[in-house]
This record gives sequence, structure tokens and C-alpha cells, in this order.
Amino acid sequence: MAAGTFGGEAPTLFLRNATGLVRGWSVRDSMIYACLATNFVTLAIYEFAFAAPAFPKGQLITAVVISGIWVSFLVVAYAGLIVTIPRAGGDYVWQTRILGSGLGFVMAATGWWFILWLWAPIYGNILAVQFFEPLWATLKFTWPGSGATAGAAWFGTHTGIFVVSLITIVLAGLLVSIGMAGYAKFQRWCFYGGLTGFAVIVVLLLVNNHATFVSSFNLETHKLFGLTNAYGATHAAAAKAGLHAQPIGFGPLGPTMLLVPIMMFFILWPNWGATLYGEIRGANDFRRVLSGMFGGLWITVILTVVFLLLIDKTIGWTFYQNSNALSFNETPVLPIWPYPVLFAAWLVHNTAFQVILILVMSLWFFGWVGTLFLSSTRVIFAAAFDRVLPDRAAEVSEKRKVPFYSLILMLLPAVGLSAVYAYNSTFVKYTYDATLVIAVTFLFSAIAVVLLPFIKKDLWRSSPASKIRILGVQVVPVAGWVTIALLGFNMYEWLSNDLYYVNLHSSLVFMAALYVLAIVVYVVARVVRRRQGIDLGLINKEIPVE
Amino acid sequence: MRVFFATDIHGSEICWRKFLNAAAFYKADVVVLGGDVTGKMMVPITSFPGYWQVTVRGQQYRLETQQELEEIQRQIRNSGSYPAIVTPDELRYLSGTDGAVDRRFTVEMTQSLDRWLDMADGKLKGGQIPCVLNGGNDDIWEIDDIIEASPCVSFGEGKMLDLGGFHIVSMGWTNPTPWNTFREAPEDQLAAKIEAVVGEIPDMGRAIFNFHAPPYGTGLDEAPALDETLRPTHGGAVMKAVGSTAVRDAILAHQPMLSVHGHIHESRGIKRMGRTLAMNPGSVYGDGVLQGAVLELDAKKGKVSKYLFVNG
Repeated sequence: MAAGTFGGEAPTLFLRNATGLVRGWSVRDSMIYACLATNFVTLAIYEFAFAAPAFPKGQLITAVVISGIWVSFLVVAYAGLIVTIPRAGGDYVWQTRILGSGLGFVMAATGWWFILWLWAPIYGNILAVQFFEPLWATLKFTWPGSGATAGAAWFGTHTGIFVVSLITIVLAGLLVSIGMAGYAKFQRWCFYGGLTGFAVIVVLLLVNNHATFVSSFNLETHKLFGLTNAYGATHAAAAKAGLHAQPIGFGPLGPTMLLVPIMMFFILWPNWGATLYGEIRGANDFRRVLSGMFGGLWITVILTVVFLLLIDKTIGWTFYQNSNALSFNETPVLPIWPYPVLFAAWLVHNTAFQVILILVMSLWFFGWVGTLFLSSTRVIFAAAFDRVLPDRAAEVSEKRKVPFYSLILMLLPAVGLSAVYAYNSTFVKYTYDATLVIAVTFLFSAIAVVLLPFIKKDLWRSSPASKIRILGVQVVPVAGWVTIALLGFNMYEWLSNDLYYVNLHSSLVFMAALYVLAIVVYVVARVVRRRQGIDLGLINKEIPVE
Repeated sequence: MRVFFATDIHGSEICWRKFLNAAAFYKADVVVLGGDVTGKMMVPITSFPGYWQVTVRGQQYRLETQQELEEIQRQIRNSGSYPAIVTPDELRYLSGTDGAVDRRFTVEMTQSLDRWLDMADGKLKGGQIPCVLNGGNDDIWEIDDIIEASPCVSFGEGKMLDLGGFHIVSMGWTNPTPWNTFREAPEDQLAAKIEAVVGEIPDMGRAIFNFHAPPYGTGLDEAPALDETLRPTHGGAVMKAVGSTAVRDAILAHQPMLSVHGHIHESRGIKRMGRTLAMNPGSVYGDGVLQGAVLELDAKKGKVSKYLFVNG
């Protein structure tokens, strides 16, 4: 038996050689994962296009920083849960253990499974506007489509969005089927490639001035779309539409706070890897877990702030905001989505360079899209093993190891929702529903953090998280309270302010349907299993110790 | 007949106590513990005149009363570690002498198991509730004789035991791991060990395989892929099948009614392999939660009529 010691001259722990004593998830790996999850290109740049028109008096940079600080508390709360109950499954495990089986299932099913059906067309739309449209425009492809919607513009049509959503679903489904081994390697390369692309953009925006940008923009839009003085036309169209973009700044706080719920679309996910922490020794290291998520979150915040400042310097803040607002109002000057990466690429008048930059920056998308259904598979399997779903839901084909039934449970509804998203102009506005439903799941995990010291006293006492104190006060439960405040604020705004489009009647019905579906599945499972003589209530009942 | 199966409690005293109460709690006729009974960590509690000093999960404690000492020992045992009270000289000896830690581990493990089996006597009604206990690949050899000598539990390794008309065969050995633990053997040797005991079973329709290693490539054996430094690759997102092909082949060839496994704590799951229901309830012993499976066996039909994973 080979043994190890911890603690230097006066050892505090002896370990013997035994299975499963592995080193922890590296901080670098978890940082990359958290950074890709809070994806500043795929998600942040995409939703900034919604932020400006909705709240023109708000300041993006301030909102990003406030959100980063606030979400840091969520990171602390989740780090506390991870080191206390380091289980693969994350929210599902914590909530079923601390809050109960039924609630745990409903929150996991809605937040980690059902709502991913809506994320599929949202990702599809992002793929269309950040990949296909700029690529097709740059290469001057004139197919598919015809007339005004030929080539790049076709990807903005109903059919274009639907087709790209299908491509996204097939891509994500295939990646689940072939396993994560190859994809995880690809993911790391995507991160480094994406950072390289970002560095190139930073250099381009640093070395060029605003006048160069205006002339480059006008030159390229004339070459690609036949427009004359598109820059001036953008400002003119904005003025005609009554848009008054604010210059970049840091206040006022009131309208800026209204941007915080929008920022959640990208900044709320540094804890996304929490579902992956299994029984690894490093998960008992609070600082390590915290550093990974915290680092990922703040890399994203820094990249975003740098990017926005450079946009102001070279592209022009008013122009950026006006382009976004015109696109949102469906009165754009450009026939394609105003992708700032493409604007930066136009500073170099070389088609090959522009294509390469678009491709390299698309690595931010392709490095993340493969995880779209990963969490769903895990929830479906866990629910099947808990006998809430039929056993078949967790079956994997013998030869190719494809989770056939769980894929059906993910892909078919995603295809259906993609069709509705693409062809129903109201549904496309439910973007923040996708954030809200997951935020509700996080809210219950935050409640679990706060209740943990009271409900699982022994577990909490022995957790390294309970030892983290500032001025004698336990930090993790306090972080749980701040997280509850953050999510509560966002939910209040989402549900009370019409500008997020969340509180539309049909949107509320859509979200309610997801929760009703989860409750129905759980209740039916309880009834059916009881008839079979299986009491699902036993699953999380604790055996008495004495 | 109702069976409660759990595995891989790795020295967690709270899980052992729960296991002993599981028969009453789940109304089980038989309880089976599938291996890896002993813990992996030992926490030295240094005794000084008038107080003790210990570091638990990075936090240093000075214990001044017997009550405080007992409370910290209880916490350490519940988490699956062994509290070892040592003098400063003993601590220096342990950290500076080759083999000293191993010897102390053995003492702590065997004494702990002795204590556990004493507890079992009352809870299992002096052997009236059948209890099968087995070693796993992480368990030292010394535990075999201790379990064998217990009047209230049956040591399963390499035997066919009769459980009210059902036959259970057990094997704590696994295919090789990166940690080179006690009961590891190449696949061909595992196959030979399995065949040696499986051959005694009269009716596979009423047979239970209790093999610590899960069958390869069934989803019951997925562990995070590790690099050469034993660090999970890609943040633990990449899983790899690490089970035994010999166990898989034996299940497919003999088709027992039920096959229960452990070893891979993260790989809780169910797999139908022909007419065999194979399962791994996983383990979260570190949380003090006893994961297990409650199984209803139908003697007439020779099948598992009901099952439920529980987190007790």
C-alpha cells in the first residue's frame, strides 16, 4: 500500500493509494469552460443588439460590470454547493437533496432540459447572423433565395432561420451521440483560436481611427451591397426613426440597471460546469473551484469592456447603437445583421482575411454549441434512473452508444419550437424566456444554499464552505442571499417591464406550460409507479442513523 | 424477496450505520454490501498535555475536552476517514518512516471494521437478517478474515451463498486501475475467477452476480478520463468506460437474473443486458448519504420485479 501525506513537516492528512483519488479539475480547464459558457461573442455581442433599442439611456459598460460583480456572488454560492455536495448533476442533486424530489425534478427538467428546446433556435439565429450571413456576404454568394432575399439575406428569412436552427440541432445532437472526448479537445482549441481572433480585432481597432473606419465601412458596403455612404445613411435612418443614441459613459444608474436583466443572457452562466463536478478531490478545494468560475466570469467581463471601449474609439458608439437599433426595428441600412466582427474585418480590404477572421471568431460559437444538449442528456438519464421517466429514456444503443430515446426527447421538441420561432414573429421575441427559466432553477439552488446550514447541519459543518468567513460571518449563505436578490430583481424586471417581451401573455403561457409539463410528468410518474408498487417518495428519504 | 444493495462506503461510519438500519427502513429481507468497505484517508489527531490538535479539511482545531475530541472523531469517521490519535513523536515517526503510515492504516482499518461488526450484531438480529459483505479492490487483505469470523454477516468472496432460494456469487476483484490497488487482475484472470464460482450456480434464473467491477461499456462504468498525472481531462466533461470485459462477457454468457456492481462511484445507472438487469447504485459516501438499490425479486418468475435507487 503506497501512502501520501499532506501538511508538510507536521502532516495533517495521510492518504493511502486507492481508486478514485485523482487530482482536481484544473483551474485553467474550468476557467475555459466558464469563459465559453459566458460567451462574449456568441451571446454578449448578439444580445447587445437588443439592449440598445430597448433601453437607449442605459450604459452597457456599467451594466456589464455591475452584472459581473453581482454574478460573482452566484459563483461563491455555487462554489459552496460544489464543495459541500460535489456531485455530477449539480442543481438536480442539490435541490432534490435539500429541497425535495418533486421540486428538484421540476426545476431540473425545466431549467436544464425543456428550455434548451428554445435555446436551439436562438443558437440557430446566432449561427445565421454571426456565421452564415457575414460569410455569404463576404463571398458574395447569391444562393439560396432570390431577389432581395438572395444569398446572405436569405438567412434572415423565416425559412433561413428554420434551416439554420435545424443545422444547429443536428450538430448538437451529433456531438452528444459521438461523445465529448473529441469535442472537448476541439473546444479548447476553439477557445484559444477565438482569443487569437479577438486579439486581431483589438489590434485592428487600436491601430485604425474612426475616419479610417468610416471610409472602410462605406467602401466595403458599396462593394458588397451596392450602398452609397452607408455610414451616413445609418445615422440619417436613425434620426428619421427618432433614435437618440447616448454617447458612451457610465450613468445614469436607473436606466443602466434595466440593462442588467439583459446582461444575464450571457453573464449568468459561469456556473454551467457545476453539473460536471463529480467525485474529485479538487472539488473539495473551495478556492480552486471558485477561481475557475470566477476567472472565467471576469475574463468575459474584461473582454467585453475592452471590446466596447474599442468600438467607441474606432467604430463610434453612436453608430454602433444606431446600427443595432435599426436592425432591431427591422429598418436596417445593411441587408445583414450588424456584426461588429465584420465591421472590424472591413478595416482590411482583403476578402481572404475577412473570411478567415469570420471563421476564427465563429470558433466562439462552435466551441460551445456542442454542449447545448449535454446537460439535457444528464437530466433525462438521472430522471430515468430515479424511475420518474421510463427506463428506456436512459437506454444507449449497443453498437454506437447513442442515447437514442433521450435524443428524441431533446431533438423533436427543439425542432418543433424552432419552426414556431422561425415562422411566428412574436415567438422570436421570447429570447429572455430562455434566460428566465434557467434563472428560476438557479434561484432554487440559491435558496438551497441558504437553507443548507439548517437542513443538512452535519454536511454543512463538515464542508470547507462553512469555514469561509469574513468578520466571523459565513460567506457562502450570504452569497446565497445576494444571489436570491440578483435573481429576484431580474425576475421582477422581466415580468413587470414590457420591454423585455417576457411578460407577453403568450410568453407567460409558454413558460407556464413548461412548468406544468414538468409537474405533470412527475405526478404521473408518482401515480404510475405507486400502482407498480414503487414508492418514489422513498428516493430521498434519509435512513435513520441510530 | 426484497434485497437492499449498497456499495463503496469507504470507511464512512454514518453510511455503515445507515446500512445496518436499511433492512428495517426499506423492509428488506436481505442486505448486501458490495465492496470497498475501508476508507482512504487517515487524519492524525496530535495529543499534547491538556489538549489535542487536528486539522480537518484545512481548518485547524484545538480540542480541550474529551467531548470535543469525540465529536471531531465522529465527524472524521462519518466522512470516511480514520481518526488516529498520535503523540508528536509518533507523528514524526509516521511521516518519516517508510511503511509506518501503511502499518498504522492497517491497524485503524481493522479496528474500525471490528467495531462495525460489533454494531452489526444487534442491528441484524444476531444474523437473522441475512447480510452479505464483500471486499473490493481497495480493501486490504486483512479484512477478509475479520468478516469471515463475524457471526452476523457472510463473507461473499469467491463463494456461492443461498439467499432464500436465490444464489449470490461475489467477487471483489477488478480489472487493473491506475492506482494499482489490492484486488486487481488482468481480464483473463478475472474471467477464470468468475467461471470458478459461477459454475456452482444451479439456476441462472435465480442467480445474482455481486461483482465489484461493473461490466465494460455499459454506462455503469463511466469515469472521468484522466491524463498521465491523474487529473481529469477537459474539466471532467470527458467520460471513459473503465469497466471489466470479463464481467461483461460473463453476464452476457450466463444471463443471471441480476448483476450488481460498484467501483465507479459516479456511474450510477441501470443496464439491461439480455435478460439480466445490471446496476450500479454509485456512491456518495463522503456526503454521509447511503446510495443503494431496493430490489424486489420474484422467485416464481425468476426476475427482478421492481427496483428503485435510493439516497438514504
